[in-house]
This record gives sequence, C-alpha cells and structure tokens, in this order.
Amino acid sequence: MDNISGEFALVISGHSLAHALEADMEAELLMTACACKAVICCRVTPMQKALVVELIKKHKKAVTLAIGDGANDVSMIKSAHIGVGISGQEGIQAVLASDYSFAQFRFLQRLLLVHGRWSYLRMCRFLCYFFYKNFAFTMVHFWFGFFCGFSAQTVYDQYFITLYNILYTSLPVLAMGIFDQDVPDRRSLEYPKLYEPGQLNLLFNKREFFICISQGIYTSLVLFFVPYAVLSNASQDTAEPLADYQTFAVTTATALVIVVSVQIALDTGYWTIINHVFVWGSLGLFFSIMLAMHSQTLFSSSPNQFHFVGSAQSTLLQPVVWLTIALATVICIVPVLAFRFLKLDLKPQLSDTVRYTQLVRQKKRKAVCFSGGAGVRGAAGSTSEGRLGARGGSRRSGYAFAHQEGFGELITSGKNMRLSSLALASFASRHSSSWIDTLRKKKHSHTPTPPGAASGDSSPAPSCVSGSAAPPLSNSPSVLGGSQDAAIEEEEARTPPPSPLQAKPGSSTSHARPPSTTLLAASESTQGPSTGGGPGDTAPSAQGESGGWTLSLGAVQEALSNWRSLGVRSSSPGPPSL
Amino acid sequence: MMASSYNAKEEDGHITVSGPGTLKSKKPDNTAFKQQRLPAWQPILTAGTVLPAFFVIGLLFIPIGIGLYVTSNNIKEFEIDYTGTEPSSPCYNCSVNFSWNSSRPCSCSLPFTLEQPFESNVFVYYGLSNFYQNHRRYVKSRDDSQLNGNVDSLKSPSKECEPYAHSDDKPIAPCGAIANSMFNDTLELFFMDPNGTRIQIPLTKRGIAWWTDKHVKFRNPGGDNPNLTSVFQGTSKPVNWHRPVSELDSDPENNGFVNEDFIVWMRTAALPTFRKLYRIVQKKSHLVPTLPSGNYTLEVVYNYPVRSFDGRKRMILSTISWMGGKNPFLGLAYITVGAVCFLLGVVLLVIHHKYGSRNNSADIPN
Repeated sequence: MDNISGEFALVISGHSLAHALEADMEAELLMTACACKAVICCRVTPMQKALVVELIKKHKKAVTLAIGDGANDVSMIKSAHIGVGISGQEGIQAVLASDYSFAQFRFLQRLLLVHGRWSYLRMCRFLCYFFYKNFAFTMVHFWFGFFCGFSAQTVYDQYFITLYNILYTSLPVLAMGIFDQDVPDRRSLEYPKLYEPGQLNLLFNKREFFICISQGIYTSLVLFFVPYAVLSNASQDTAEPLADYQTFAVTTATALVIVVSVQIALDTGYWTIINHVFVWGSLGLFFSIMLAMHSQTLFSSSPNQFHFVGSAQSTLLQPVVWLTIALATVICIVPVLAFRFLKLDLKPQLSDTVRYTQLVRQKKRKAVCFSGGAGVRGAAGSTSEGRLGARGGSRRSGYAFAHQEGFGELITSGKNMRLSSLALASFASRHSSSWIDTLRKKKHSHTPTPPGAASGDSSPAPSCVSGSAAPPLSNSPSVLGGSQDAAIEEEEARTPPPSPLQAKPGSSTSHARPPSTTLLAASESTQGPSTGGGPGDTAPSAQGESGGWTLSLGAVQEALSNWRSLGVRSSSPGPPSL
Repeated sequence: MMASSYNAKEEDGHITVSGPGTLKSKKPDNTAFKQQRLPAWQPILTAGTVLPAFFVIGLLFIPIGIGLYVTSNNIKEFEIDYTGTEPSSPCYNCSVNFSWNSSRPCSCSLPFTLEQPFESNVFVYYGLSNFYQNHRRYVKSRDDSQLNGNVDSLKSPSKECEPYAHSDDKPIAPCGAIANSMFNDTLELFFMDPNGTRIQIPLTKRGIAWWTDKHVKFRNPGGDNPNLTSVFQGTSKPVNWHRPVSELDSDPENNGFVNEDFIVWMRTAALPTFRKLYRIVQKKSHLVPTLPSGNYTLEVVYNYPVRSFDGRKRMILSTISWMGGKNPFLGLAYITVGAVCFLLGVVLLVIHHKYGSRNNSADIPN
C-alpha cells in the first residue's frame, strides 16, 4: 500500500483520460493517481473505465475491485479482479456480469469488512488443517517403509484408508470452513484495521504452509514411533503379543483419528451446535464403523474382504493400547498448545485482542444483567444494555421512564458528544446549569416581541437526537437565516402557552417534528430520542393554536420539517454510539 | 467512529419481484443460521486455561509412568538365542548342516539358569529377527475363505496365493506363502533338579490363539467331520511342510486349520523383530513357584532355517501382568512426557508473568 502523504485528489474527465491512457502517458497517470487519496474520473466511456482498471492491474501488485450498477459498468466489472454489481434502478446488466451483487452501495462495506474477511480467515484455516491431516495420515507409511522392506505395505486397514478423508475427518473441517468467525460482525465493522491481514497475505503464505507441513510430519513421526516402541514388545493381558499387524493398524488408526480431531477442536474458534455434532459425531462414526467392519457378521459374508475380524474388539480392550494412544495424543498436541499460547501471549494480533475484549464484555454484561434486576435505575440500566446488546441489522428503540430529571440535560449539554455542527457548538457554549431555566428565560424575554428572524428554522435541535447530525441540515441557519434563539422561541410559540413544556401526547413520537417534541419532552420526562412510531403529524393543530404571525411561517416550517425529518430519521437518531 | 451509520433510503433495501399476482421478496431470511448469528462458544487460550492444563497433564502422567515402570520391573523375563551362529553354540551343527529333505531331525540342547523364580503362569514365546512378515506380497499371500472352511476355495485357492497355490497338480491346503513358512521348531524345557534328575516341564498347547481366530476365522472344511484325512483328500501339503495339515496334532480339536500353532503363525507380525506365543506353563499352586530358580535345559528340534537371510531365533520366558509383558518404554515415556509437560508449564508461567501482554485494560488502537 502506498504511503499517501498530503490530501490530494485527482479529477479527470473522459477527454483528458483518453490522452492520459496513451502508452507513453499511462505510467505518468498511474504515478500521479497513486499519489492521490482519491481519483475521480467523470464523463468516461465504459471502455475507459475498463482501461483504468487494467492499468492498475498491470502495474500494481494489488487486488482490484470494481463496483457499478449500470450496463456501462459491465466492462469495468469484468476486467477487475472482483466485480460487484448493484441491482436496482439501472437494471440487472451489472449483476449478470459481476461476482457479487447486492442492492445498495452501502452493502459493500459489509461485503469487504465482514464477509470478505471471514472468508479469507476460513479458507486459510481450512487449507492449513487439510494439509496437516493428510501429511499426518500419509507420512506414517513412509516411516513404516523402513521396517517393511519398502514393499509399500500399508499401515492401516484398506477401508480406513478409503473412509479417512471421506467420513472421518471431512465434516469437522467443513463445519469450520463454513461457520468460523474470529470476531463478530459488529467488531469487524468497528475496527477496519482487522482487514489488514487479508491484504498483506498474512494467514497463508509460504511460511505458514511450511509450518503446517512440518506439523503434519512431526505428527506422523509420533504416530508411528510411539506405537512401534510400545507394541513391539507388548502383550495382551492374555499374553498374546500385541505386535501383530492388525493390532498395530487399529492402534495407529485410532491414535490418528483422535489426534486430528483434537487438532480441529483446537483450530475451531467458533463452536456452533453444528461444529459440536460434526466433530464428536465423526469420532463416534469412526468407532462404530470400525467395530462394524471388524464384526463377525461382515466377515461371514465375505472372509477375504473383511479379514480384520475381531481386531478392534480385541485391541481396544487392552489398557496398554489406550495408554499408547493417550501418550501419542499428548506428545502431538502439547507443543502446538505451547506455541499458540506463547504467540497469543507475547505477540497478540489485533483480532486476538478484539476477540478477547469482546468475550470479556460479554461476561460483564451477563454479570450485570443478573445483578441489575431490581431498582428504578435498573430500568435505565437495562435500556442501555439493550442498546449495547442490540443485534446489528434490526433497529430497536429504547424507552426509559423516570420520575425525576434524568439524562436529558447531560445529553443536551453536549459535554459527552462530539460537536460537529456550528449550532450545536453555540448551543453548548451557553454554560447554563439547567436547560429548563434557559428555556424559561428565553420564553419570557421573547414572548412580547415577534421573532425578528421569522424564518422558523428549528434547525439544530436534533442536537439531542444524535451527536453528529448531518451537517448540511444542521446548518440550515445559514439557509434560512435564523438563529438558535429563534428556533427555541419558535417552537415555544407554537405550543399552547399555558403548558409550554408539556409533552404532546403522541406527538412526542412524531417524525414530522422531531426537534420540537424531543426537546420539550426531554425536560418533562427523560424520553430518549425516539424513532419508533409513525409520523403523528400534529402540525396543523399546532399551527392553529399558535399566534397568527406564525401561520405563514407554519407552512414553511411544515415543509422544512418534513424535509428535515427525512434527514434526521436517517441519521441514526439512536443514543450516542459506542 | 462507527462506520455503519450510513444514510439509506429505506430500511434494508430489498428487491421485490412481482410475479404473477404475488410479490416475492428476494431478501434473504433473517434466521440465525442464514445470517451467521448462531449461538456459539468461543474459546480462547488464556493463561488461566492453558497453564493449569499443562500442570494437570504433568501431575497425571508422572504417577502413571511410575506405576507402569514399577509394574514392568516386577515382570520377569528371560531370553535365550539359539540360532547357532557361533561354533561354540550347541546348535551350530544343526544350523550349518540344515537341508530341506533330511529325514532325521536335528536336535540341540542349551543349558540356562534362572536367577529368580517365576510365579503364576509362565508363557513361552519363540522370537524371530530380520523376518519380514510385514512385506506386502507376503501379507497378501493367503486365502481367508479357504481357511474359513469354504469347500470351493479348498479346491481352487485364490490367485493371491500364487506361486504357493498348487503343487503336484493338486491345490495346496493351506495355500500361500504365510502358511508355507510356518515355524516348525519344537522347544522343550527341562528343569535340572539339584540332586541330578531332569524333570520335564509340562507345556500347554491350547489357549495360545485369539478366541475370534480359533472359533470364527479359522474353520475346518467339512463341518465337524473328525476324519480330517478324508476332508483334505485331493489337496497337497504346502511345499516346505514335513506333514500335511491333517496331521498337525493328534487332538482332533487342534488339528487341521484350527491348529493353534498354525493360527498363531498366520496372524502376521507388524515388525521384522517379533515374538509369538508358543506354549504356556500353568501355575501349580500359590505356594510353589511355577519355575523355581535354578538350572534348566532347552531342547530344540531344529527344523526352521534362518541362516540364509541372517535371521535369528530365540526363546523367551515371561510372566504377565495387567499391562501385558515387560515394557519399560511405556513407563519411562510417561514419566518423561509428564516431567516435560510440567516443566513447560512452569516455563510458560514465568514467561507469562514477565513478558505476557496484560489483557486487563484492553486498549485497542484504531
């Protein structure tokens, strides 16, 4: 990745691009473009789009992604490494030509940061494990060759060789390749830096491959030589020697399946119920199939095929055999455990840290949930937890009710939020101890005189709604020439004078006028900024109640609030985000 | 700053396909399985789980290893090589003068001494070295359905037995290289009483094979017909045998394919140096040791040639415990692995304390 210093952008139109993409100029274009933070090519033909992508592909060691929604994007999508098509207004041409498609542009973030990252992680773990288990399985024959005159005699029963990769070890690694997650999707979006290992090819490269292979070879060494050393002189408790070929085969096969199962158990980081079923089920399947094949029933049907009759039953009843298997398992797994623990302890990656904190938080949340059941404040507490633990994807609203002044002032003082808008800044700099007092003061001081700035722009009231209201909307003072004071008095004037601070029932949840109602509501009840409920439009009633001078403004106000409500609603009027 | 607060026109944009009459949404199901939200257990290798595991393994393995080592040391074993390679060995003449069609069997006797008495059942093994019973062509060379008593296979052995399938235009029973190379030395033990008499030690020849082998895998053809000579009519003996299979033993239950020495030999060994159970010395009573310490003689009828491939033959006497025969490796391996585990746990604990990352206050850089 280039180190881009400075904040430059390149804007180039189609005409100029036609010249810039000529053979003698394209290197220059590439250098310039890569020195900028962003490049905008406008008015380009589809062919030029593809040429730009190909320019990057040819000269830069990078993976390119092209996203587009129209038929004119098809050539670009096709020429990039990854093509993403957006299905929607412009038809499905782009979708048909792309590798991935979805309906909205914003889904690209999830595609990359969540699904792309998980896919890379799963693929690397799957590959590593696959090489490991096959090397562990096959290299045993290599070591056995030294002791059987290199005659290619197999160590295992032929049916075990057939079924090993199909039945005994395929399901657990399949489950890991489908379900594994190192961090949840919310954290993936929260920490985009987690995407780096994918770009730097850190999880599966030559070094990792070599480590996988050596682990497989080491395992095969242990799996052959430990049974060799133990069984060559051992006997059953009925004195028959254990050094016969069939006992050796059963012992080694059992040790192998157990060791690779323990290894996949160590590799799997996300144990769903399916993982459990597959891992333990595969082990159970191994034992049941082996006992079935070594049974007398199958032998009587075909003696030459199933000549291992009685081996499993006889071998697996010997304590020496199980001691051998346990010894082999420990010798194989303990170094792996030690290495992984040391790596995690001394050099944790970002994903390890995120995973750890995530699990710590989960534990704390469980503890709080259990202990915070009772109490008035418990309601508020559980609300905040509800927000914290809310599943991504579905928006929930939290409601907290208390009979005393709650957090409204804290929120509206702006002390715990980023002040991204002018109005909010000015609002927060008021230094008023109580917002209610401020409100009352203003009301009393402004009621006799009509507001000079008659353009009721209840602009930045969304301050209490979200910390970062969309700047253009909140800068509407500049658009409409109003001021913060005017906004407040405007809303005040609109409501019936006797109870200026009374929350309108029903309208408190109105979308049409989130600013006024939420501001007012916050003082009376700590009704958090709410997004639920439909737009209970009470504007006409308010209009009627207010004074005559507001009638003309009311229409403007109405239009504005409708326009703004769309923006406010969409700018996640949730609580301060984590 | 959370990057997920994007502006969106609608809640979660979905494409609806209007088919004939119905509006079908292409939005994927919001189930836990399809949205990868399945409840799951997420283990982490923390110091609190790994280090205790190491210590537990260490503390578990060391006593087991000590128990195994002590048990193994209490098992008594005696081994004597009787190949006869040196001229000073009693069996040298027999090994040198071996010929395939000699009518008179060659015998030799070896004296040996037992330092300690052997109690309970004593098991007599014969051991072979440099004998590759695990060679692939050798292992394949048998016909299990013939050995199971199938009459068709008796008359026409399988191709795997070639070239030991037919001799004198008659099918060989039992066919194959494994049967052909059956061990046919005879070993006898004599105790030299202090007052000079030779007492033969009674050896049991039954109960040396696996139960499934004796009763399921190996069956004589012709059902329970006791007249095995007629059953095996029309077949010839294996090339290297002195007697046909129907004359292996006078006891009809130990004759033919179900002869236990034959069964023991047919269970091929996995390694080039192996031992097979030959006879059992039954224990007499609790007061008298089965084999008291003293001088003994081993009488060998030397029928089995091993000099040609530099093989070696030996006789082994051994007692048995719950873990089988003498096996010092297992005990030592357990002690070693347990000690290494424990040491590793200590080392990791030290490293963790000195250099480990403190995950308590997780500060995640962004």
